[in-house]
Amino acid sequence: MHNKFRKRYSYWLLTTPGLVVFLLVIMFPVVYSVSLSFTEWSGYGTPKFVGMKNYIDILSDSIFLHGLRNNLLIVFISVLGQIPLGFIFAYILHRRMVSGGRFFQTMIFLPITISSVVVALLWNQIFSASGIFTAFIRIITENPRYVIGMFEQKNLAIVPILFVLLWMHTGTYMVIYLANLQKISPSIIEAAQIDGASEGQTLRRIILPSMFPVIATTAIFAISGSLKAFDLIYAMTGGGPAHFSEVIAIYMYVNTFKYYKYGFGSAASIIIILLSVGLILILQFFTRRIERRNG
Amino acid sequence: MRTTRYGLLIGMLLLLVPAVMFAGAQREEAAGQSGPDKISLSVYHYLDQTDKTTAPNFQELVDAFSKQYPDIELTFEFGYGESFHNKLQTLAMSGQLPDIILLYPGKRTAQVTSAGLVKDLRPWLQGHEDEFASMAMQPQGKNGEIWELPEDISITSIMYTNNKLLEQLGLTLPKTMDELLAQGEIIRKAGLIPLAMANKDDWAMQSCFAGMIAERTCGLQWFDAALAGKASFSEPRFVRSLEIIKQLHDENMFSPGVNQLAYGQGLDDFVNERAVYLIDGGWTVNQLVGELTDSQKAYVTLESFPDITNQAGESGSTSATAGQGFGMNAKLDEKQAEAAWKWIWFYSGPEGSAIRQRHGRLPAYNLDTPKGADPMIQKLIQYAAKAPMGYVLDAVIGAEPIGVFNNNLQQMMFGNKTPQQVADELETMVDEIDRGN
Repeated sequence: MHNKFRKRYSYWLLTTPGLVVFLLVIMFPVVYSVSLSFTEWSGYGTPKFVGMKNYIDILSDSIFLHGLRNNLLIVFISVLGQIPLGFIFAYILHRRMVSGGRFFQTMIFLPITISSVVVALLWNQIFSASGIFTAFIRIITENPRYVIGMFEQKNLAIVPILFVLLWMHTGTYMVIYLANLQKISPSIIEAAQIDGASEGQTLRRIILPSMFPVIATTAIFAISGSLKAFDLIYAMTGGGPAHFSEVIAIYMYVNTFKYYKYGFGSAASIIIILLSVGLILILQFFTRRIERRNG
Repeated sequence: MRTTRYGLLIGMLLLLVPAVMFAGAQREEAAGQSGPDKISLSVYHYLDQTDKTTAPNFQELVDAFSKQYPDIELTFEFGYGESFHNKLQTLAMSGQLPDIILLYPGKRTAQVTSAGLVKDLRPWLQGHEDEFASMAMQPQGKNGEIWELPEDISITSIMYTNNKLLEQLGLTLPKTMDELLAQGEIIRKAGLIPLAMANKDDWAMQSCFAGMIAERTCGLQWFDAALAGKASFSEPRFVRSLEIIKQLHDENMFSPGVNQLAYGQGLDDFVNERAVYLIDGGWTVNQLVGELTDSQKAYVTLESFPDITNQAGESGSTSATAGQGFGMNAKLDEKQAEAAWKWIWFYSGPEGSAIRQRHGRLPAYNLDTPKGADPMIQKLIQYAAKAPMGYVLDAVIGAEPIGVFNNNLQQMMFGNKTPQQVADELETMVDEIDRGN
């Protein structure tokens, strides 16, 4: 009995500080944000209860829907671009399919060590209307008014950002996969090869199944990271021109901090959380099914 | 027993953390009253500390103040761009507004001024009103309050002209917009930009052009009526101002990719003589003083946008607003408020204004044209004296309607919205948010 009490006491003692911090830093703002999302509040005075109005307004706002579409494209490029590419690079480096592996590893990982704002400035210096690439095309085509039209098209303005995100974050996944690939015992792969397994069979039958949990975890990171994408896009385009490259985090920021609509902004942030949780649950559902099928 | 001792120790340490933190804060607060004769005040200012021109100029002003008032110690905190406003909002909401705060006369900081968080400066200002430009003494509150003492008159639309390029192309300063449009072809053929502008940050077209052109198509009286709800932004005369922007864009008068260019790029093109005209605010003179060579200063002039057909506003008019200035926290006691006023008066009054004028600003305080001032400063002062002034839209329209309008101007230039649609949306939002209907 005494032991049981001591155990429980030590559990509480160890978890309480963390729990208190979690409640104060995570739960309180979330709960407060949920309650605020049903109100109209400019930051002063008493918030006015408006029910679901903020949510209805947001979900019927074409700017929000375009931002959501951009976010889903970022999710798409993260899950189906950064993760497969990261895995392919890690696999090539791990299996020593190219010489100078360390050089490539550093080069691929380098972008993630640079601040998002610096990355944004860098790419703007190249592709903006006053950038190097534009100047070069102007010289070649002898057209001093040439600009990259993609940036001014509603449906395409996000594409350069998707490319930069792919360039920037693939290295992170590569390093994660590389570290996990190194955990697979070389003797298993050697044994498979002695048994006559081809490179493709080794990859399909041994490496991919053992990497599956890591891939699923990184997919969760990719989804949640994509839905809260803000810094790089804000520094690159500010969501413009004319909201073309806007994402929902920028939509939330603008409404909250530029228009002082705290209730509205809270509702947008709750929508981001719900979307993130929803997509992650869908992913987990499929992950479990695949895991069950693989036994 | 040992477990209990460790538990108590950890508990004590956890309790000590906030205690240590609060002790630090108390020390800082204590510094606020550092002696019976010395008053310490916190100041929140809008300044880009990396700006090689404005930051040292501001420091010169602070040094002059410290020399004159050694008994007042000012502790500065700076913000710039959107982050300035975000922090101001956070400080105001958390009740931690600094003693002296940079504020705007119009809607930009209305969330602070209209919440009763700052003092009305009229009791201190009494008797000095005539020393300022009349625009700077316009009431800022509903009951005529003056929340901040404007430092400058901010002219937001000037057509900077490179007369050397004009001459080389065989052109003269256009008197009408049609003449300007006709020049476009010649200027572009020479590989130059007719009107340098950069509108990636979306406020530039509205602040540096739309207000001025709306004054031309609508006239000041109509604009007053529209703000009061007695006229509508959906009316043809306001729509006409938007059609002009669309026309200039469609006829390639602006910089190529005007909506992709970050603010400052237009100035760069102009200084490097890639553009014949530059549309920008009067504050740009501050940069031109340092960026232009002496020979360039001789042939660069400050002009107004040419007249338009069926103009309702005044010929040669521009858009202007009283600039920002310092206000003081409503919580300051009498002694602190007196000290705060000394800084506010020094900054926007004769002494600070003379220093700022020397560096290319156009103070709201009436000063004589300084002898030996940079030619660009003299040209700005002369321009301000002759140009009739209309409204700057973001000074008279609320943050949300103007934010939507800025974006809609871009949409209109891309052909996604018509001028009428942009005008209608502005009218709807102004009616709902600003007029409260």
